[in-house]
Amino acid sequence: MTDARFPPEMLERWLEHDWQLLRDAPTPPMLHMAIDEVLTLEVAARRRKPTLRVWEWSSNAVILGRFQSVRNEVDMEGARKHDVTVTRRITGGGAMFVEPANTITYSLYAPESLVRGLSFVDSYAFLDAWVVAGLRALGVDAFYQPINDLSSAGGKIGGAAQTRRSGAVLHHVTMAYDMNPAKMLEVLRIGREKLSDKGSVSANRRVTPLSQQTQMPREAIVDSLVETFDDRYGLTSSKLTPAEQAAAERLRRDKFESDEWLYLLP
Amino acid sequence: MVADVAVEGDKIAAATISGDFFLEPETALADMVDGLVGAPADASEAELAERMDRHLPPGAALIGFSTASVATAVRRAIDENTPRELA
Repeated sequence: MTDARFPPEMLERWLEHDWQLLRDAPTPPMLHMAIDEVLTLEVAARRRKPTLRVWEWSSNAVILGRFQSVRNEVDMEGARKHDVTVTRRITGGGAMFVEPANTITYSLYAPESLVRGLSFVDSYAFLDAWVVAGLRALGVDAFYQPINDLSSAGGKIGGAAQTRRSGAVLHHVTMAYDMNPAKMLEVLRIGREKLSDKGSVSANRRVTPLSQQTQMPREAIVDSLVETFDDRYGLTSSKLTPAEQAAAERLRRDKFESDEWLYLLP
Repeated sequence: MVADVAVEGDKIAAATISGDFFLEPETALADMVDGLVGAPADASEAELAERMDRHLPPGAALIGFSTASVATAVRRAIDENTPRELA
C-alpha cells in the first residue's frame, strides 16, 4: 500500500534499513522513559539498527510532555488514589494517562536520514504511514491529523511525539485501546470541554478507542500492526542488549526517578 | 501554553513557560526564558518576541507555536494577573 502524500522514493528509504523489533515484557513507566532515551542514542551512535519497540506497561501512569508543568496537568491526589506513576518523557506534547490493558504504545528509533527533507510536521505523518495503513486493514477509517494526531471518522485514536538527538529521531505513539474517562478526569487536570489526546486529551476531539472500532482483543491488534510493518518494511526480532539494559537502569535511577527531572517545570 | 511571570520593579525577574508544545533542542526553552528575564515589564509583544529570538540557538525549531505566541502569553500574564512578586 502506498501513501499518495509521499513519493515512492521516500517510502523506499524504509527499505534501506534492517529494522529490528523489540517486544517488551511489562515494564515500569520510568524504565520505559529511560529505554527510549538510551535506544535513541544507540541508534544515533550506530550501535543499534533502526528499531520498532512495542511497549507493555506494568502499571498505570501519567506521562507528561517534556515542557509541561506538573501542577497544571496532574492531580497528585487522584494519581495516588488510582496508583498512577507520574513521570516526564523526553518528547514534547501533551500529558497521557495510560492503564496497561487500555493502551497500545510503540516507539521508532531511526537515523534522521529517514526523514531528511521533510518538515517536522510532515515527518509525523511519514513515520506513522504504516500504522494508518495497518489500522485501515483492520477496518478502522484511520487518517493522520497534523501535527501529531492519529484519528478516524469515529474519533481520535491516539497521538505521537518526537524528539531528535545526535542525528537520530525518536518517534513514539500511544493509542487508546480502551479508556476510563471518569478515572482520567480524576488524574489529569483537563477542562471538561476537552477530552482525550495522546492516549489522553486534546481540545474538542472525541476519542473513540480501538476496542470499540474493531471488536478485537488488544493483543490481536498489536500483532496485526506489527505484521503490517513487517510486510511493508521487514522486521527482525531483537532483544535489549545487556549494555542497553544496564544503561537504561542507570538512566532511570539517575534521571527519570529524580524529582529534579519530574519537577523540571513544577 | 502557560506563562508564569514574576515582575520586580519595572522588569521581568523570572518566567516559566510550559505547555504541550514541541521544541528542539530541549534546552531552547531555557534560552527563551533567558531572553525574557530583564525585559521591561511594559515591553511590547514584538519586543519580547525579538528578545527571545535573539537568544534561540541557530537551528532551533518551534513546532506548532512561535516566540510571538509565547510573547502573547507573557504579556497576558503580566497584564491580566497580578504579577507574582519574587519572595
